[in-house]
Amino acid sequence: MSTWTDGGRQVAIVGYAHSDIVRNADQTLGELAGQTARQAIADAGLTVDQIDGFVGSALFPTSGSHEIEDGVSTVSPAWLAQHLGAMPRYTEGFTGMGQLPGSVGLAVHAITTGEADYVLMHRALHNPPGRYHGNTMDRVSGMQQWTAPQGYFGPLAMIALPTNEYLQRFGARRESLAEIAVEARKNGSQIPWSFWHDRPLTTEDYLESPTLFDPICRFDCDIPVDGVATFVFTSAERAKDLPNQPVYVAGFGMGAPTRPRLPLHWPLDDIMDGGRETATRLWTDAGIGPADIDLPQVYDGFSPFVWFWLEALGLCPPGEAHRFIADGGIDSDRPGSLPALSSGGAIGNGRMHGVPQMLECYLQLAGRAGDRQRQAEVAVACHASPHLGGVVAYSSQQLGKSIVL
Amino acid sequence: MPARPLPVPDEQSAPFWAAAADHILMVAQCSGCSVLSLPPTATCGHCGSADPAFSFVPVSGTGAVRSWTVVRQAFLPGFDDDLPFLLVDVELDAQADFRLIGRLLDGVEPSPTLGEPVEIAWEDLAPDIAIPAFRRVP
Repeated sequence: MSTWTDGGRQVAIVGYAHSDIVRNADQTLGELAGQTARQAIADAGLTVDQIDGFVGSALFPTSGSHEIEDGVSTVSPAWLAQHLGAMPRYTEGFTGMGQLPGSVGLAVHAITTGEADYVLMHRALHNPPGRYHGNTMDRVSGMQQWTAPQGYFGPLAMIALPTNEYLQRFGARRESLAEIAVEARKNGSQIPWSFWHDRPLTTEDYLESPTLFDPICRFDCDIPVDGVATFVFTSAERAKDLPNQPVYVAGFGMGAPTRPRLPLHWPLDDIMDGGRETATRLWTDAGIGPADIDLPQVYDGFSPFVWFWLEALGLCPPGEAHRFIADGGIDSDRPGSLPALSSGGAIGNGRMHGVPQMLECYLQLAGRAGDRQRQAEVAVACHASPHLGGVVAYSSQQLGKSIVL
Repeated sequence: MPARPLPVPDEQSAPFWAAAADHILMVAQCSGCSVLSLPPTATCGHCGSADPAFSFVPVSGTGAVRSWTVVRQAFLPGFDDDLPFLLVDVELDAQADFRLIGRLLDGVEPSPTLGEPVEIAWEDLAPDIAIPAFRRVP
């Protein structure tokens, strides 16, 4: 089977930069994005005038009553290109779910079709003043009229239902969720740019925290932050002339479409059935299977996503992820484990929306992880929920697939 | 305290809300495949018809709890005095996998169980607006 990630058409990450992750930056988000973009371009051994493609997602993941202003609360690829003074041939924003894999897909598309030679991808996240998800609506129209009047509103309600369903069906407990948050914060505490640098979480801290939407407490959620990450992509061929060891995009699995549902209604079976389909798409596209993954980086914008992704990817049987974790299955300090949160994830870094997972794949495969360096040749970065997000496989070598055209 | 947000009926939802005001559960049925849709959208979620010509039919308000959560912090106005409250994800008996989410009005204790039977109840929020909710079946 031929795919557009095959052989000579393969695309590589050749540079990156990441801002510090803080609660409220001293600069506007746009300034921070511009600065981080210039750092990534320099890191790749390039200059701004060589960047002829800009991609990314400008989604501001809040359900609150916040004004959306490009350059302040979000940064679109067009805004960034304009403010860097670039003249790109290709500028595209990804508007679906799975913002990071979707944006990587745009970069790969641009390069493989020749729309652009060097593509900058960025993700900029903002922590607005006031309550992140607080909303003052007194009337509700559109799809939300079917749920919000009942008080079913916002992402915590959305994740609480499938999480509790998982607890009830498979015997997981709050202690099981605590193990995820503690592992994420342990790893995040070792990341210099993390909001949680040097601040691990104890099981006691977790269990003493009151639940908000049972069984979810604040430590199951990533904290809203200001932060920017940027990556530079080019073809495998051009990557040979650049300073950093290339990391190749080896394949994709994107979720959706999903079953028709009430807004924000994600029954556990939808997540898991859809997630298996997402994983199947990855295996087909990348020509790999779960046993080939040296380094899974599962999404954890809410802690239970770690269970859902581990199971969707077939890294442990359905309903078993909480026991797998309790047995040290993802403990980054345990030899032979699958260190699925070695990046610290969103819980251990801040609400960077899939960036920690992608960045960890890049740093480890490029040999740029410093003291945290591991041996890995194939890594996967997951984003959002398995049924409507996506997953990207990366490799340190071009995977030797035959091209059948 | 500010009031809870009220639904704004539109072309597709008006028959549901009109019946709800009389405490009757009426849902959209596709004229082509007869499958129920909640919420109704421009196409039938089952047969894909772009012209489902939905009619609204009364259905049983009994069902089974598929999940639940206790809400202890509200992001919307008007709910603070009700905290904590329990939301149930209910599979209605009217059709397989036919779901409706609402408050369980009997309080947060004891905790529900998976599969526990419940039946529709209504919260009268305004003279002509009632919101679907649930009660335990004795």
